[in-house]
Amino acid sequence: MSLLQEERKIILNNEFVDTFDFAEVKEFVTNASKDLFISHHFKQKAKDKMLVQPRGGFPTYKKQFALYEFFVEANVDVLPLTIDSNTRLNDYATASKMLRLSEANDVDMLNGYPLVNHGYRTTRKMITHFNKPVSLRHGTPDARLLIETAIASGIFEIEGGPITYLLPYSKNFPLDKAFLYWKYVERVCANYSTLNEPINRESFGPLTATLVPPAITIVIQLLEMLLSLEEGVKSFSVSFAQNGSMTQDIVTGAVLKKLAKYYAEQIDCADAAIHLVYHQWMGAFPTNRDYAEQLINISTVIASMVGADKIITKTREEAVGIPTKEANAKTVANTQYTLRILNGLPNVVDEEEEEILTLEVQAIMQAVFNDAADTLWRKVFNSIKNGIIDVPFSPHIINHNEMITVRDAKKNIRIIKRGNVPIPDRCYAYEKAQCDLTKDTTSIVNDIIHDIGIMQ
Amino acid sequence: MKVVTGVVGNDIHVVANRLIDLSLRARGFEVFNLGVNTYLEEFFDAVVETGAEILLISSLNGEAEGWGREVKALKAQYKNLDDLIMMIGGNLVVGSGKAEDIVPRYKKYGFDLVCHQVDLNTGLDTLEAFIQERNTP
Repeated sequence: MSLLQEERKIILNNEFVDTFDFAEVKEFVTNASKDLFISHHFKQKAKDKMLVQPRGGFPTYKKQFALYEFFVEANVDVLPLTIDSNTRLNDYATASKMLRLSEANDVDMLNGYPLVNHGYRTTRKMITHFNKPVSLRHGTPDARLLIETAIASGIFEIEGGPITYLLPYSKNFPLDKAFLYWKYVERVCANYSTLNEPINRESFGPLTATLVPPAITIVIQLLEMLLSLEEGVKSFSVSFAQNGSMTQDIVTGAVLKKLAKYYAEQIDCADAAIHLVYHQWMGAFPTNRDYAEQLINISTVIASMVGADKIITKTREEAVGIPTKEANAKTVANTQYTLRILNGLPNVVDEEEEEILTLEVQAIMQAVFNDAADTLWRKVFNSIKNGIIDVPFSPHIINHNEMITVRDAKKNIRIIKRGNVPIPDRCYAYEKAQCDLTKDTTSIVNDIIHDIGIMQ
Repeated sequence: MKVVTGVVGNDIHVVANRLIDLSLRARGFEVFNLGVNTYLEEFFDAVVETGAEILLISSLNGEAEGWGREVKALKAQYKNLDDLIMMIGGNLVVGSGKAEDIVPRYKKYGFDLVCHQVDLNTGLDTLEAFIQERNTP
């Protein structure tokens, strides 16, 4: 038995799991409708239309089904399946109890769909009924069982990664374990990708969504992409979120696309398809619902300027709580409308900003590759541990928290303290030159508070 | 002076925690930041270990109320913490409440300084004033 099969046996040894019939799952994936694969849609639509994907997950089958009906009515391109927080922490016993309570009382006791408890046989009925690509949204450090269940259900896009699903969400889940658990996920995705259209993997670029400088976002996107491609994944989406400055978003998109292609070629994976995903504003939203809609609309315009292949939407109820299916579907319809009328966009290029950002990313990537460890995941692990990669406002104990960022007069995010991150001197001088550094720390802290709440 | 700080309970809101850290350092304090998601025992253990003179607990999701009740009993189990300056700040109730009701409640739990929805710099000014007053013979 291969090591992968042995590990499979271990994770399936769990009282809350379906009995897996792997031969049947293999046959299902082999013969599955091409429409279920987002990688297929990317191929078809790559040149003309950005795919629109909302967020959303409810505990019961019935409510999830109803949500999908609303989305389809609103002309959705990609359906989401957001997983509840207990399942994300592998606590299937609590998820099971809360699911039973939700079903009995018609009150939602979970903030998402407990996929493992529902099982793949049940969930597959819903996915194949709608025959649209479904994207799995979770936040799970150990997603091995979840991903086996998802693919068996007909969910052929898997979001996440060892860095982007850990550093923003966890204080002390061991990062080295996360790398190994995600290695399993990549292999399973790669294996199923040989049967039909490829399974698409997507990284979670927004990270903490709090003053993360583009250089850090891009480096982490590239590294998760490389970790995925080296295991044999053939379709991958890099992503980032609206950052508050239109120029910086356009520059980020351009550099990310250029360097993703470059680094994929460096490891002989030029045959993999790389896509770009844009998240509408992920920071604190205005409580005024009309303002929230204006913000969402601006996000859609920027996504078009960036040339994203897919956009992930927010709703007018973002500041209030988990959105209703009506509000969620409304955003999809509005975003589709905005995309339809956005024509003849100008091509904006800022060469100086692109050059600075490219140099920063290349310097950090080089420092990661120069680490003495023998495998890429260990190099990345060491680089996070010693602060070569530093994510502002990550709650995780391994993160250095030495880097400090603020917004300049044009609202671009600038690095005013680089910590251990090897930002080249010339770039560092440029970043600092855009900001007023004569201020004392108290004023800078006040500026940071203001910069975080920029959209409120 | 040495300060131990962190966010109490199953609260992962990290932004204010980082800013408290930054601001305390700017005011010349030596900071031991335990970060988010910290339990009461960990706070007191850290105070003993570092010899800190100030414990500054913060909370955003409001669950501090549940933890606050246990402060006195737990603190009594440690020796030599009688002179420790105890401060708590942030959003100290679930839902809404008035500061004039909340502050006395937390003082009873054993806190010297209570800042409910007070901005960061005002809160730290209060702390510095309190220290100065205490050090004036």
